[in-house]
Amino acid sequence: MKKIATFGLLVLSAAIVFVSCDDKRNKPGKIYMPDMTYSRAYETYAERDSAMFTNDATNKGGKIFYNNIPVSGTIKRGELFPYTLPNDSNGYKMSAMVKNPIESMTEAEMKESARLYNINCAICHGEKAAGNGPIATAGKIGGIANLTLDSYVKMADGTMFHSIQYGKNSMGSYASQLDRKQRWMIIKYIRTLQPKAVVETAKADTTKKI
Amino acid sequence: MSLYRIFINKALTGLLLVVLLATSNISFAADGEALFKANCSNCHKPDADYTGPALKGWSDREPNKEWLYKWVANPAQMIASDAYAKQLFEKWKPTVMTAFANLKKDEIDAIMKYVDDYTPPVATAQAGGTAAGSDSGGEDNTLLFGILTLTLALVAFILLQVNGNLRKLTDDKEGVNRGEPVPFYRNKMYLMIGVLVLFTIGGYNTVSGAIELGRMKDYQPDQPIYYSHKVHAGTNQISCLYCHGSAQDSKHSGIPSVNVCMNCHMAIKEYKGEPIIKEDGKTLDANAEIQKLYSYAGWNSEKNEYNPDNNKDGVPDGAHAIPWVRIHNLPDHVYFNHSQHVKVGKQNCQTCHGNIQEMPVVKQFSNLSMGWCINCHRESKVDFYNKETKEGNKFYSIYEKFHTDIKNHKLDSVTVEKIGGTECQKCHY
Repeated sequence: MKKIATFGLLVLSAAIVFVSCDDKRNKPGKIYMPDMTYSRAYETYAERDSAMFTNDATNKGGKIFYNNIPVSGTIKRGELFPYTLPNDSNGYKMSAMVKNPIESMTEAEMKESARLYNINCAICHGEKAAGNGPIATAGKIGGIANLTLDSYVKMADGTMFHSIQYGKNSMGSYASQLDRKQRWMIIKYIRTLQPKAVVETAKADTTKKI
Repeated sequence: MSLYRIFINKALTGLLLVVLLATSNISFAADGEALFKANCSNCHKPDADYTGPALKGWSDREPNKEWLYKWVANPAQMIASDAYAKQLFEKWKPTVMTAFANLKKDEIDAIMKYVDDYTPPVATAQAGGTAAGSDSGGEDNTLLFGILTLTLALVAFILLQVNGNLRKLTDDKEGVNRGEPVPFYRNKMYLMIGVLVLFTIGGYNTVSGAIELGRMKDYQPDQPIYYSHKVHAGTNQISCLYCHGSAQDSKHSGIPSVNVCMNCHMAIKEYKGEPIIKEDGKTLDANAEIQKLYSYAGWNSEKNEYNPDNNKDGVPDGAHAIPWVRIHNLPDHVYFNHSQHVKVGKQNCQTCHGNIQEMPVVKQFSNLSMGWCINCHRESKVDFYNKETKEGNKFYSIYEKFHTDIKNHKLDSVTVEKIGGTECQKCHY
């Protein structure tokens, strides 16, 4: 009897030693001091306690109103003023009159614009803006603009901004990914990728010489 | 004299123009494929509908060749005046074809000839798909070695028993009486070895388990949408910062809001790549996952527009945030800032997060332990400012001592540790 008990104990301890949990992919694992690991204070993306917070401004019911959105009509210090033209065909027409607030860029700013362009735009429009980014050449999204075409060379900065702000055809709005200054900077950068209306300048030059 | 110069100038510019026009004609003439790819392929495919209609068989549909020339030159005007053009617009609206007034008639002819002669290339994707599956040579060999060890131990044990029996037999033959042999489970030698082995393995497991407490390496939870980083960041080469742009500007590397997904998925409605095999071995219904995204975004994929916002909460009706499961979590007493590492330190995302572009479901790659942080801070070099070449991060120009040390060749580079990267209060305060 004693023998069996010793043997059983041995097997049991061996089992405990060798066997570990199997489906741990879905579990974060054990922790000590959970109040240190999982923040008591509010953290980004954490769900708010619905007993204390509400995102319904009209019916607070004694709760704290919070909806992650800045108070309307406020801007960050040093930020460009908001773009006010509405997202309709009239606004699109009027956008041609909006001037690019950035007149010239330093080399560092140009580099930064190129970087932002390559992250956000080149995936479709291509590194050289010829409408041949990886998504375009793989045929996943159709109708991607070749920004080196004459019609885009002639397009006003403001109209480009309007399209980036609100999206156009298959393109979505980039207002959440690029702030206003970055958008204007990228437009300036696109201008450096575009051909300078070749024929006309050539003609202009010849007349000057003569 | 000046008259002469003007004449030469005129002749030269004239010659230049002639050469320019001539070369442009040569390079474009009759090369339908190149013209098609340069001008049309963004919206048209020869044999399938895309943003615009398939171009093959155009001559059966369109009134005549003259109509085509006029249409290409100015589609908007044709829609206003021509009945067939209006009909086309109704079918494909709101997209209107871009005008290509610069295309000449013979160029359009060349494009149309290319389109009519087009035959789709024979699919070679099959070969690529099977090749990927066989590449699994570097698997985990622990199980194999374990079985091998156990077998060897068993063989050794049996041999020892056999040895004992044989000795007993020879003893019997020679008439030596050693008494009854001790059975193996009461043999002190065996018991001792057994206890030692158990103690070592148990101790190792206990200690490493205690160290791993609170570390979540390899945590790979199922997410509400089967979002494959392998498809997006790998196959489609989308930059990490396209979606996680706030890693450049803030403490957190943000999770993209649904509108960022919709930037592409307004147009990409179905998955056409290689089949995705899930962790449990089943094939994923990727189109169902895209439909899940549409329901989170409040997008009506049939009407191709967002649901109206009737309840005035600022988002389309039915839209709500995707409850992604958080994977990486640092304890509350650690401060970590993404922008410092991504923008200033110029670290690749993969340094800490592993080859995300090869992970169908993301798992935690690093253990995010303090030793791991410190190790990197000791080894990584900062982009130290070089006063002579004016290269590097100008902030570091204030470190006078290091500058003189580098000048006197006492130092060749400056690590994060040297500028205080291992001080406690950098991360704990």
